[in-house]
Amino acid sequence: MNLRLIYLYHNLSRNKLRTALTAAAVALPLMIYVLSTAVVRGIEAYLDNSVKQLRLAVQHKGSLIYYLPAGYRARIRALDPEGNRLLSICGLRWIGGQVPGQRRPLSALAADHETFPQTFPDYEMTPEQLHQWMTDRQAIIVGRDTAAHFGWKVGDRITIRPSLPPYSLMEFHVVSTADKATDTLTLFFRMDYLQEELKKYPELEGRVGFYFIKCATGADLKEFREKIDAEFAGSLDETRTVDEKTFMNEFISQQFNLPRTLTILSGITVLVAMLAAANTMGMNFRDRLNELASLKAIGFGSGFSVFLIQLESLAICALGGLAGAAAPYVAFTFTPLKNFSIPVIQTLNIEPRVCVEALIVAAAIGATAGAWPAWMAAKLKVVHALRALE
Amino acid sequence: MALPLKYHWRHLLSRRTSTLLTVLVVSAVVGVFTWMVGFALALRGSLAVADDDHKLIVIKRGATAESNSAIIPEDESRLVALSDVATDAATGERLISPEMLTQVSLPRLRDAGRTSANVAVRGVTPMAFKVHRKVRLVRGALFDLGEPQIIVGAAAAKQFAGLEIGSTVQLGSSGNRPYRVVGIFSADGGPMESEIWGYLESLKNAYGRSMYSSVNLRLRDGVDPQNVIDEVEGPAIQLSAWTEPAYWSQQSGLIKAYLMLAGSLIAVMSLAAIFAIANTMFSSVAGRTREIAMLRTIGFSGRQVLAGFVIESVLLALIGGILGCAGAMAWLNLVGNRKDMFGMSTFTTMAFEINPSPLMWGCSLVMVLAVGALGALWPARRAAALDVITALRQV
Repeated sequence: MNLRLIYLYHNLSRNKLRTALTAAAVALPLMIYVLSTAVVRGIEAYLDNSVKQLRLAVQHKGSLIYYLPAGYRARIRALDPEGNRLLSICGLRWIGGQVPGQRRPLSALAADHETFPQTFPDYEMTPEQLHQWMTDRQAIIVGRDTAAHFGWKVGDRITIRPSLPPYSLMEFHVVSTADKATDTLTLFFRMDYLQEELKKYPELEGRVGFYFIKCATGADLKEFREKIDAEFAGSLDETRTVDEKTFMNEFISQQFNLPRTLTILSGITVLVAMLAAANTMGMNFRDRLNELASLKAIGFGSGFSVFLIQLESLAICALGGLAGAAAPYVAFTFTPLKNFSIPVIQTLNIEPRVCVEALIVAAAIGATAGAWPAWMAAKLKVVHALRALE
Repeated sequence: MALPLKYHWRHLLSRRTSTLLTVLVVSAVVGVFTWMVGFALALRGSLAVADDDHKLIVIKRGATAESNSAIIPEDESRLVALSDVATDAATGERLISPEMLTQVSLPRLRDAGRTSANVAVRGVTPMAFKVHRKVRLVRGALFDLGEPQIIVGAAAAKQFAGLEIGSTVQLGSSGNRPYRVVGIFSADGGPMESEIWGYLESLKNAYGRSMYSSVNLRLRDGVDPQNVIDEVEGPAIQLSAWTEPAYWSQQSGLIKAYLMLAGSLIAVMSLAAIFAIANTMFSSVAGRTREIAMLRTIGFSGRQVLAGFVIESVLLALIGGILGCAGAMAWLNLVGNRKDMFGMSTFTTMAFEINPSPLMWGCSLVMVLAVGALGALWPARRAAALDVITALRQV
């Protein structure tokens, strides 16, 4: 075996406890890094899908909570009567909802059933599902994670109590669990069923929460974003049209600027790992000053000492990095934790890519931690060093 | 006699690099911890004000908060039949306050209006001031029932633009009804301080509404709130009722989940800090083998040596703690201590301030001491258990 590798092995095992504690002090922050990054990436993936879908969201200018008139559907359609550029217009209305006797809040939306499939092709309904959606007024599409949580399957009858008018229990038939969609939590059901139930609330009947519009191209999306707002400018219900990414982003960041908080947190935590590793390398250097000087004295160059120190630092951090990346990956892929979901956003998926990135971060931590001792070793004056210790 | 503090201090100074790096590890962890505790305490402080269990919040059955509740006037009129509602001593009126909740988007002051937040607008009658006892005018006047006027909660006035007395806010579903701010009210720091209040009838008109969002009741003294809740939720009325503390504890579920998440991440970071300290202390023990043996020989007991190392470690952690707290304070001064957070209850933002408090420092201190002591325990025990003879012989 290579002399350097033998030396590395002996260096690592010389103070096993120190090596282990340092690796752990690197592993724990990297675990936080992996988890935070996974959450932030999950949100980004969700938003990226929104960009790809080329959808506009038309909401009330005053606030998302105000309803828009149902007549806006036809007026938006009139902006592009042939339907070559605004492919389809889907009115939506949020009712939240809860399963009676369960705490978990749902995010259920009523949608125009004729235009839903074309507006949300990412839901990839089979011809059979499509047929059921079109013919059964009580049809509902349930996000797969929500379905898994309640143990619902296609064909089940479910009961939901809306958190908004009409408040009365509504019965649905599950037609799809949206196995291909990016969004794994939301539920969609038919607007005509909701409007029927809303007859008791004449003030709210017929009105729509917001419209989602599928555009043909990115240029159409840009153009109509302004045209739609111009169309309703000066009316009683002015609109604010944004692309789907902006719409979702506003909603997510309003909750608690989670991406930003997690990014700052994981930055600090990587710093902690770096300081802990640097401390160890500093102590190792101090303890082996004598030895490093001897190496130089018998003819090894500065490069050898630098190499040894950097190699050791990298090895310790790689150990920590492997543990820190593997632990969350295993926990969230193979244990019951894999069904863990962050409120409102998404299921936490730890992708191998994030783990690889964590290893790169670990290597960077190792290189930084070893830098100062390595430099000191390179500069080491043999005579001084040998005299300094005993 | 214990080892003098000076002895430990000198030792820390003699190993400068190691001490500095360990201090920095602790300070980073403590800094994040202090910030989070400040955040949690500020939120909790605001919610703790909402503790009036003789105030009932009545919302539509099925609704989860005031923001998604709609109560038709007939439902409200049925509440008058409740026997345990308090009456006003002077006028004999029942203390029932129908309220309407909506919102307006206003620029945040802290980033000079680059972002906006939705601020709750509550339509109330004069009865509201008798039901919500903590709400009182601190400056200006109450809104005039015949004029488009509003009063603004003190926390909202501090954090959002255009809410000074005399300025005008555009309300109404089309945003074209100017309302003038005539007063500022306090709610003892409770959640209502983030709201704007105006006259119910005027706002119902401006927003084209006929329904209320909620009805708030004041109960007679000595009445068991649960009896009234049962009556409200019973077959005759069929609405849902909560006491104020119960309502807010249910509303803050999401906030609690986030704080739990942040808390567990900080626990993991603290563990890393403990390992870093242990590393430093092990090295310190190893480097002082002969010295420890000397101390034992001249009469210091193993227990004293153990205590000495724990003290040294705690001292190290304390320096880190002070630095971390200073860092957290600097961060608050730099970024601002004013925060607002989305609340499901009103579907708007709740404004609050992170202010250093004795409790916050206390929590940080306990954390620092724990990290310092736990990190030292194992190395210190090794030092105390040192075999004196062997150690003295070892050169």
